[in-house]
Amino acid sequence: MHKSPLHIVILESSKIIFEGLHYILFQSEINCRIYRAENLEELSDLLKTENIDIAIANPLHFVNRDKEVKRIRKEFPSLSIMGIDFGMMQKAVTDTDSSFTLYDTPEHIINLLTRLDKRNKSLTNKTDESENLTKREIEVLTGIVNGKLNKEIAEELNISIHTVVRHRKNITTKTGIRSQSGLTIYAISKKIVEIEDIEI
Amino acid sequence: MHHFTTTKMSPSMKVAGQIDANPRLLLMLQHFKVDFRVRDLTVSQLCKEYCISETLFVDIANLYNGFGAKKNHTYTKNDLLQVIDFLKNSHHYYRFEMYPQIKSYILKLQENHPEKELKLLEKFFNEYFTEVREHLDYEDNVAFPYFIKLLQNIDDGDTPQEYSSIEYSEHHTDIELKLHDLKNLLLKYVKIDNDLDLRRKLFFALYELEYDLFVHSLIEESILIPSGVNIEKKENA
Repeated sequence: MHKSPLHIVILESSKIIFEGLHYILFQSEINCRIYRAENLEELSDLLKTENIDIAIANPLHFVNRDKEVKRIRKEFPSLSIMGIDFGMMQKAVTDTDSSFTLYDTPEHIINLLTRLDKRNKSLTNKTDESENLTKREIEVLTGIVNGKLNKEIAEELNISIHTVVRHRKNITTKTGIRSQSGLTIYAISKKIVEIEDIEI
Repeated sequence: MHHFTTTKMSPSMKVAGQIDANPRLLLMLQHFKVDFRVRDLTVSQLCKEYCISETLFVDIANLYNGFGAKKNHTYTKNDLLQVIDFLKNSHHYYRFEMYPQIKSYILKLQENHPEKELKLLEKFFNEYFTEVREHLDYEDNVAFPYFIKLLQNIDDGDTPQEYSSIEYSEHHTDIELKLHDLKNLLLKYVKIDNDLDLRRKLFFALYELEYDLFVHSLIEESILIPSGVNIEKKENA
């Protein structure tokens, strides 16, 4: 399955810290797209136009801006905020979902990020079973390859059309192939169907 | 998959430095019909020299640089005519360069490996190429002329009233989907022995095409379609 990148914004006015974090993310295995915001307004704008998953923020930007932060939280409930802990502020961490200090190891920071990314977690679980099609899915796939309609497949296997559609979705998720002709080539490569059965 | 960069282009930057940071911008220059010898020009100077809208140039470059689209930018009618030229030039590149190149690689691959699977892969590609050509034909012959008329304010009574930007966006099918399938089939499933040079060239071509198609649809969705809808609204008001 094509996994979409994680969209991360870094809210930090120091170019040095931004570049450092960017480097750490870039070196990691996380597939991500990075944005930069220099202040709360820029962050706000970015959230409106981009589908941001995680904000890594210098909590200094949140000082005396409780109202705005609350509004952002309310408007974008799925956004996770990770605070950079400068060890100077007591309250700073309360607005964030997790935090790290600039002296933490890159591994630690990446670990925290991965944990924050819930979406990522559910996807990793899925990849374990990836590609191992169930017996039913193989039957549905064979029908697709033979050019049968959903209705015909449903009748043949004695299941509802709705179930056929669900199987098709799962097949696509597992194989990463969406088109019928692509699935045919997949089925042949996996020896699910015999190439002799296919007209060229 | 997509090029990674954090430098956002601005008008005062040197074009040469920008190309160094993201060579994919060369393709953008070509779509804008700009020569590669950019001397020591800044983005702003280059735009002036080639009579290209600076806003447009910077916005499209930033799409190539991996930044999201600026949704609140407004473009002049002239800007949008330039967008259409840009898109037409990219069509030319898909139709006469990238797809034929990929086709020739696949054909060669099929000649080297007589397995039936590759014959199927070639068939898959040919069907896909036909779909792409139909899509490009539709845009060149129906969608773009409509937009040009809309922008030039020509009302010769000939403009089909039933057509609209929204319809264009609906018709705007996802030609990236099968390209994605092709890439996955080659990466994960179809077994081919050796021939790495040829296969690498094929992959590089697929990735290059994929990236440009990706930006291409971003331009259509974030610049052309919203602007078209706005003009229609004004005219119907």
